[in-house]
Amino acid sequence: MSDWEPKIVAFLCNWCSYGAADLAGVGRMEYPANIRVIRIPCTGRMSPKFFLAALREGADGVWVSG
Amino acid sequence: MEHMGIEPGRLQFSWVSSAESTKFVSVVNEVTDIIKKLGPNDRFVKKDVRVA
Amino acid sequence: MTATIDRIKEIVRGVLTDCRVDLVIGFRKGTVAMMNEPCFIKSPDEADQLVWDSNCGINLANYLANRTGKIGIIAKGCDSRNIATHIIENKIQRDQLFIIGVPCQGMVDRRRIIAMFDGEVREVVESDGRVTVKGADFEKTLEKSELLQQNCSLCTHRNPVIFDEMAADPVEEQQNVDRYADVKEIEALDSGQRWEYFEKLLEPCIRCYACRNACPLCYCPTCFVDESRPQWVGKSQNPVDVRTFHFLRAYHCAGRCTDCGACERVCPVGINMRVFTKKLEKDCFENFGWEAGLSPDVRPPLDTYSPDDPDDFIK
Repeated sequence: MSDWEPKIVAFLCNWCSYGAADLAGVGRMEYPANIRVIRIPCTGRMSPKFFLAALREGADGVWVSG
Repeated sequence: MEHMGIEPGRLQFSWVSSAESTKFVSVVNEVTDIIKKLGPNDRFVKKDVRVA
Repeated sequence: MTATIDRIKEIVRGVLTDCRVDLVIGFRKGTVAMMNEPCFIKSPDEADQLVWDSNCGINLANYLANRTGKIGIIAKGCDSRNIATHIIENKIQRDQLFIIGVPCQGMVDRRRIIAMFDGEVREVVESDGRVTVKGADFEKTLEKSELLQQNCSLCTHRNPVIFDEMAADPVEEQQNVDRYADVKEIEALDSGQRWEYFEKLLEPCIRCYACRNACPLCYCPTCFVDESRPQWVGKSQNPVDVRTFHFLRAYHCAGRCTDCGACERVCPVGINMRVFTKKLEKDCFENFGWEAGLSPDVRPPLDTYSPDDPDDFIK
């Protein structure tokens, strides 16, 4: 279990956090590779359906960021 | 979510502007740490084989 | 009770004769004891079918969404709150409606009465706050106040909030009711216990969607459970799917549910799914001071933004 790494689904707003992620990439910053990014047009697009589906299909965590 | 018995912390919310790449990185670290501490999600997962 | 129903019939005959409405939605006696069924009265002579007693727990606001023409409707406290919600959500216009308000003393819990007797309950008669239950070989008189549906015994809005005409004098509202005792009990449990609690609660669910169909709030043209592309919820009896259904259904009702109890009442396996909706109701009340459907003119909390809205959960 020691080498277990969580799978985290990240729902990122196109205009905010997705931009921040892009900038972090351009800046060659390092961050954990556990997140799987899903771009959504706006955090307003977020629906409880999404994170329930993510957890149901086996994600260990869900992160919503606007 | 928590009321239903999913561990608090499985679902995280944050607000990061597109110019805040450092905040983005720190939040990613933080979220990853929290979830690592919680361990694998074994409650709200469909365990049986999916039938297509 | 008889005076109320006579008054209801009189009003219904009046509005139908004057052609103020095309039809009136009310209750008539069902084929089984304690199961009054909704009916649509279209002519004054049909008004005699109407009944009003403690078995009218179905929420008639359910039959209003997107209806055209002029409609009369018989509304108790919770129905009227759901009508107000429909007006807020543009599912019906206020001027289409003629609301016949009926103050409500609570509805009896059909399941509890049936469970009390071995044989089949054939008839239930009530008078002056007592109910007499009759079967083939038994007859017993009980206090009605002890047989109320749980949501009715906790109800603090028994009188209709909007109406055009009242069929009886308003009843006294219950005071000092702890509406959320059961929610608090669950909140006191730890995460694992809660998970088990709901696991057990939902175990008998057969996914018949009766709760959704009886709910006046569930009027989506295509419900999320019926969507197949993408399919958000599996159609099986898998516990995770069952839980997803109940959880999302409750979320769709956040800030709209009036705790009318129709969902619990119609459930064929007797699940109290109101513990989901009540938690959200409690949150709305505590965070926004909101109780659904009290006025058709106030926008609901999830529809408005205020800088004071709680946001501690966001990093």
